[in-house]
Amino acid sequence: MSKYRLRGRGRVDSSKPVVFTFDGKPYTGLKGDTVASALLAHGVHLMGRSFKYHRPRGAIAAGSEEPNALIGTRRGPGRFEPNTRATVQEIWEGLETTSQNKFPSLKWDVGAVNDAAYMMFSAGFYYKTFMWPRSFWDKVYEPFIRAAAGLGVSPTEEDPDTYASRYSYCDLLIVGAGPAGIAAAREAAGKGLSVILVDENPEMGGTLLSEPQSKINGKAAWNWLEDELAALQAAGVKLMTRTTAIGYYHENLIALVEKLTDHLPTLPEDTPRERMWRVRAKQVVLAQGALEKPMVFHGNDRPGVMLAGSAQTFLNRYGVKVGNTPAVVTSHDSAWYAAFDLQDAGAFVQAIIDTRAQVRQDLQDEARARGIPVKLSHTVTATGGRLRVNNVRVNPVSGGTNVGAGQWIKCDALLMSGGWTPSLHLFSHTKGSLTWDDDLTTFLPKDTPEDCVITGASRGLWGVEAALRDGAARVGEALAKLGIGSSASEYSVEDDRTGSGVMMRELPTDRSPGKAKAFVDFQNDVTAKDLRLAVREGMRSIEHVKRYTTNGMATDQGKMSNINGLNIAADALGKKQPQVGLTTFRPPYTPTTFGAFAGYHRGEHFEVVRKTQIDAWAEEHGAVYEPVGQWRRARYFPKAGETMDQAVTRECAATRASVGIFDASTLGKIEVVGPDAAEFINRMYTNPFLKLAPGKCRYGLLLGDDGFIRDDGVIARVEEDRFHVTTTTGGAARVLNMMEDYLQTEWPDLNVWLTSTTEQWSTVALNGPNAAKLLAPFVEGIELTEEAFPHMSCVNCTVAGYPARLWRVSFTGEIGFEVNVPAPYGRDLWEKLWEAGQQYDITPYGTETMHVLRAEKGYIIVGQDTDGTVTPADAGMDWAVGKKKADFVGMRGLARPDLVAPNRKQLVGLLTEDNSWLEEGAQIVFDPKQPIPMKMVGHVTSSYNQGTTGRPIALALVEGGHSKMGETVYIPMPDRTIAAKITGTVFFDPENSRLKI
Amino acid sequence: MIQIHCPYCGETLPELEFAYAGEAHIERPLSPSEQSDEQWAEFLFLRENVKGPHFERWRHLHGCGRFFNAVRNTITDRFYITYKAGEPRPDLATLLEEDK
Amino acid sequence: MSKHISSLAPSVVVDTAAARVAVSQLIGRISLRARGDLAAVGNAIGVALPTKIGTCAKADGIEVACLGPDEWTLLVSLNQIEKVEDALAALYPSLPHSMTEVTGREVTFTIEGPQAVDLLSIATPRDIASIKVGEARRTLFDGATVVLWRDAETSFRMDVWNSFAPFLATTLETGAKELAAELA
Repeated sequence: MSKYRLRGRGRVDSSKPVVFTFDGKPYTGLKGDTVASALLAHGVHLMGRSFKYHRPRGAIAAGSEEPNALIGTRRGPGRFEPNTRATVQEIWEGLETTSQNKFPSLKWDVGAVNDAAYMMFSAGFYYKTFMWPRSFWDKVYEPFIRAAAGLGVSPTEEDPDTYASRYSYCDLLIVGAGPAGIAAAREAAGKGLSVILVDENPEMGGTLLSEPQSKINGKAAWNWLEDELAALQAAGVKLMTRTTAIGYYHENLIALVEKLTDHLPTLPEDTPRERMWRVRAKQVVLAQGALEKPMVFHGNDRPGVMLAGSAQTFLNRYGVKVGNTPAVVTSHDSAWYAAFDLQDAGAFVQAIIDTRAQVRQDLQDEARARGIPVKLSHTVTATGGRLRVNNVRVNPVSGGTNVGAGQWIKCDALLMSGGWTPSLHLFSHTKGSLTWDDDLTTFLPKDTPEDCVITGASRGLWGVEAALRDGAARVGEALAKLGIGSSASEYSVEDDRTGSGVMMRELPTDRSPGKAKAFVDFQNDVTAKDLRLAVREGMRSIEHVKRYTTNGMATDQGKMSNINGLNIAADALGKKQPQVGLTTFRPPYTPTTFGAFAGYHRGEHFEVVRKTQIDAWAEEHGAVYEPVGQWRRARYFPKAGETMDQAVTRECAATRASVGIFDASTLGKIEVVGPDAAEFINRMYTNPFLKLAPGKCRYGLLLGDDGFIRDDGVIARVEEDRFHVTTTTGGAARVLNMMEDYLQTEWPDLNVWLTSTTEQWSTVALNGPNAAKLLAPFVEGIELTEEAFPHMSCVNCTVAGYPARLWRVSFTGEIGFEVNVPAPYGRDLWEKLWEAGQQYDITPYGTETMHVLRAEKGYIIVGQDTDGTVTPADAGMDWAVGKKKADFVGMRGLARPDLVAPNRKQLVGLLTEDNSWLEEGAQIVFDPKQPIPMKMVGHVTSSYNQGTTGRPIALALVEGGHSKMGETVYIPMPDRTIAAKITGTVFFDPENSRLKI
Repeated sequence: MIQIHCPYCGETLPELEFAYAGEAHIERPLSPSEQSDEQWAEFLFLRENVKGPHFERWRHLHGCGRFFNAVRNTITDRFYITYKAGEPRPDLATLLEEDK
Repeated sequence: MSKHISSLAPSVVVDTAAARVAVSQLIGRISLRARGDLAAVGNAIGVALPTKIGTCAKADGIEVACLGPDEWTLLVSLNQIEKVEDALAALYPSLPHSMTEVTGREVTFTIEGPQAVDLLSIATPRDIASIKVGEARRTLFDGATVVLWRDAETSFRMDVWNSFAPFLATTLETGAKELAAELA
């Protein structure tokens, strides 16, 4: 049995020993222990080193507010997590834990040299020191900061765990299952409401777990607790443990993180490690209790110095004495009870040091009866001991500030309590307002815009009975809003521990304040001196003091430091606390894993991936994919050993030589139907559409009302009142949204409707001189001849036995067809064409070849050759703009002064003089000899060297490019400058002779 | 994540089903060609930048698909009202009064 | 090999104690848009169009859901499509409307089992309870627009554009296994 364990005490299971390791050394704890309680049971207080000064630190608290005892936890390969609070991590057989921020060992740490240089590392140290000289930044300061920065060590392997998410709606959510939360749940239970009660701890009960002495309605606290929880369960209340409410968002949306496996020795299958709940509750009860304040004095961070309430928790909940000869320093009654409990458990309390002159007589009597020395009107001015406190210097105080001679008292733990701060984090997330309470010297909750009540110690009530009564009463307000009447149950509690105290800033001291290491923020190593220095150096707002000193900016979010920091800053500023204000609490309440936020969205499931019905064929045939919007599209189909360049070169050549097959299913498709269909399309697109005959296709250019190109595509008039519009793959949703916008809000009088048919059709494109020959035998209902089915025709027919919309269009400059069949038949059609195409050496090609072939013809890709500032004229596409139209979207915009100004950037072709390939995005200059910075006059938008023209080609936007045909421009690259000649944009078959069957 | 009442569906639903669509009550002139450059620039580019109640449009994108109008407080994200496209602009003073 | 889904090949995505998810057989679908004399439309197709968004009607082998103020989805057996289309086409001169066949557009998952509602709630932001039995809604599931039909307390159909189906099937599979593990 470990030295400090009290057998049979607490809620741990003494029949179930659990072995885990800390820094490689095995320790035996009990089922129900946290790492901290198990280590303390062995007398191990030293659990880590602080971040800045590398000072030795131990657990100061017993719960999630712990700032010091941060450890790494490991469960086999890949499962390492830094910065876990030892006071929260439950132990299980085989758990490996390690201390942090130490080298070479926890007991001998080189970084502690920072501590010796304490005077140097004061508030604003980083801002001052690293400012000058400027030249030191890159080589000296930044590497130093990077090396020193960061808590713990990042995991190096991918996290093998899974994470989950769930949306939930309920009538009532209660956060915190202490007496107030449980009482609230009891009132709400059994009334036909959906009620959720959550608590971050492995078991519910809150303060009752640490105060077993009380009797509630005549029942021992723990018996009462067991009965109540069983009753709640039976009444259908959803009880969630190990579940932290991390954030309170608009309209009663609360994010909960449920930890499912961190406490288990073996991981169950299909069970995520954590689950993020997004709960929308009609009403919320916040019952998060209060957090104990540390006292601020020199040496208050030495291992063995901890919060009195936490010591009480270790004792009563885990059966662990934090010391055999503890001393207590306090300004609040509650710490006296910790002293009594420890004394009664066999410890020898060396002294109760209270800063107050007056303390309740009954407490003094109880201390005397137990033989505990009491020192009223005393302060603590120092602690001693290297890695663990072994004595404390105690001085009398008179007149509030006169500090008398000190006396050292030996102790093996020092318990402190500066009183309690209501936990207002979630309440503050609601943008709830706070009010300063002079009696309690703390902020209390006031109003909130949300449907939420706050109860118990969170609103400054003290004692179990007060919490129970308040929980029962306050939930009534929430129930009333849900239309449920209730009358608060009565509670009476015996042996309740109520109390009060006074607020202290730094404890009075006889030391020079400049040398005192009296810590306020333990995790960020911020001292009282730092805070006062910040104010002296001109910080007035508490937000500035916070950022200058980093007080409250550590992962514990200032749970311990904020209120002490405020009290000290207010004093330094000579203002009252409410005039200085409190910094903003922001989610998450406790550190939260990225996994919990990502949920299912990681690895291959990171984001939505859309696949066509032909995608599986491409996958089976070795396609290399690229993402286009949400789609994954086959980029090219390499044969064994081929590079991308080789594959694309082959695909291009084969398509121009015979026939290529391409999956064009991702093109956006919109069915426009109704008597005003033609009128609508005529208004949306630049081209004239009113006279387009059914059975014909026309290219359409879509502008914004600013006159810039937004999208393009071929539009077919299927019937008089029915158009089949195509859009770019990436633009499909955007174009439909834009069309709906104009139709619904500008032209609601038009009798026309839009339906997305992108996924109704699988679209198989055949291009090449043999395309018609290959396709003809499959087609019923139309002859694929120049006469019967000329370029830019469409027809409803049958292809390979499937109902089809067959188009004769070309994005390659070759004879081209797009066969649209109902989506599920796409793969079968593809395979039939593939099989029959073998006689023509049919070649599947991907998006890369499609890009090359279209560039050779000078066909633009919206979003690549345009960037949202390109007009049809800029793109050399004036021909697509209907000159006689009264209006279309963008028509007025095209006449804007800037859009008709000379020297706009215009789309041209570029041919390099040395036949080298240009990089897409490369900047262009007219004069390469001009001084730097040069005037950039455009950029390369498309560039390929795998095409069929025998040389690299490029498209570019160049200032005044259309009037500079034949002129030379320059593309400066890091290693050389490339000269290129401006040409037209059509590099291949300018007569379009190859489009003819 | 706020909740938004769709005036077409008659349901109050999570923001994720909706898409923001800019300021409300900006009408495209019936005869754009008669607009001066200044007028057209104003139509295209000039928008309120309200701190407080803002007339704006939303679309129930993953629902009924309708564009509709709303008055939302840009400080608190509180919606005072949502109403169908084409309905007149509600009186702000009355809305704020009713909200009290 | 990554997941591919075709409604030509009905299959079971996942079957656990919590929920069973399967890909349904191809069914005829028509997207209907209309305003005005809706009774005439109802007469033509043989079932009165429900006018409250989210409500459904069923008759004569046709199932209709109202998805927008002027939008309905019609489900019919494959061999009935032409008949319905002809009836609507005959109505067009007197009541112009938009009838677009979208049979191939979607894949339907059936989702049933004691935890069907929980399974949907892993990736549907809206409250599933607000969809009553016999109703349907267009909503979101894991980032994709879907139409959710509630056929019984614990039985749903989810229509989604076919390209999203493999991604959603993975979500549903993960969720059904997770929920089953929770039951165990």
